[in-house]
Amino acid sequence: MIDLLPWLVTAWLMAVGLYGIVTSRNYVHLIGCLTVVQSATYVLLLAIGYRWNAGPPIFYDHPPGTPAVDPVVQALVLTDIVVGATVSALLLALALQLHKKKGSLDPEALRPMR
Amino acid sequence: MSVRFRLLLLIASTIILLPAVVVLALGMPAFGAHPLPYGDAINRDAPGQRHISNMVSAVNFDYRGFDTMGEEFMLVTAVTGAVMLLRGTRGESPGAEPEEVPGRSVQPAGEAIVLICRLMLPVSLLFGIYVVLHATATPGGGFQGGVIIASAVLLLYLGDGYRVWRSIVRSRLLHLCEGGAAAAFVLTGLVPMLLGHAFLENILPTGQFRDMLAGWLMQIENLAVAFAVAGGFAMLFLEFLEETRAPKGEE
Amino acid sequence: MTLLLAALFVLVAATGTGVVLSRDPVRQVMAIAAHGLGLTLLFLALQAPDVAFSELTVGTAAVPLLFLVVLASIRNDRKGQ
Repeated sequence: MIDLLPWLVTAWLMAVGLYGIVTSRNYVHLIGCLTVVQSATYVLLLAIGYRWNAGPPIFYDHPPGTPAVDPVVQALVLTDIVVGATVSALLLALALQLHKKKGSLDPEALRPMR
Repeated sequence: MSVRFRLLLLIASTIILLPAVVVLALGMPAFGAHPLPYGDAINRDAPGQRHISNMVSAVNFDYRGFDTMGEEFMLVTAVTGAVMLLRGTRGESPGAEPEEVPGRSVQPAGEAIVLICRLMLPVSLLFGIYVVLHATATPGGGFQGGVIIASAVLLLYLGDGYRVWRSIVRSRLLHLCEGGAAAAFVLTGLVPMLLGHAFLENILPTGQFRDMLAGWLMQIENLAVAFAVAGGFAMLFLEFLEETRAPKGEE
Repeated sequence: MTLLLAALFVLVAATGTGVVLSRDPVRQVMAIAAHGLGLTLLFLALQAPDVAFSELTVGTAAVPLLFLVVLASIRNDRKGQ
């Protein structure tokens, strides 16, 4: 039962991040909640690639052939983290422009006119 | 859509999807005890085929090099978008002099901070370059080392002030760094095609196992990624910090 | 499931909740840095040193810095209006 903890933590992080995005009253706070949703995917991928009593997939000190975890998911998550930070920067630039044009960062105050 | 309606929608969808989450969590493979065929195949074959000891770099730059090219172009696109947004409304030409915001008190940094920043900057820079170069032997690579280098140069801003940092970090040089590195990655992939092999196939001699310079084509791709990431992040820092220097009464 | 892994998973869930529940953006930046540190420790325990490296530099140095600079320029803009 306790072995379900990684999947439950993933679901919790995604749910709590979505809740933060829905009820946010400040666009910069919303971008912070988006990073939480992204981290849920990192946790899920790395938990899938794990193996008990295995080492990292680096064969510098150990000879090749010692049990190691999956390197494919690590390669995916590695590039994903850096690119995710860059996309957050793009969203922050959008929020900055929004504040300059409208003077407010509240989603409720910036609703489109009917 | 008001906040209340959005929240109701979220709660309704959570209630509907909660049984699905429970069923999925119970049906997932056992944590840490299920077979990993793709990972085992790479761990078994890559040291012999490519002579490198960092499997994650092998997957990133050789076996799945095409995905890394896509990720690098995502990075370049996001940085270009952010720079265009910020520079478009600021209206300054690249390479303009930094301006002070009037009415804000400028406090000089404490002497301990200045000393530590000046001491730690070459150490951090050297560490970043070390991490980039040892991509194929120990944990590291272009992505991590590039971010370390871009953040290490920021120590100059923290210790010595905005003018000193701005006089060293030039936006034209960063444009060349970032765009040139992305182009270099694609050209590195095209060279094997000119000689009759597949795109991004590793044709140069692969060197010795556990050596720093093993896996030749991966080294070039690794350097290209390091330059692109360092240049991209430094350009982001530059544009965002320039935003805090806009003169009053611009709008 | 060892005690260390279970504790780190719970820590990541807690810091993630902390990021969402801090409504003030300046306080949220510290919560983002703490969440990045928690993720780094979790990735180290899951035998992924490359990923831990990446998350440490990005999640505790680059992303909080970008957030703080944007908040500073928003504050400057508001003072100038």
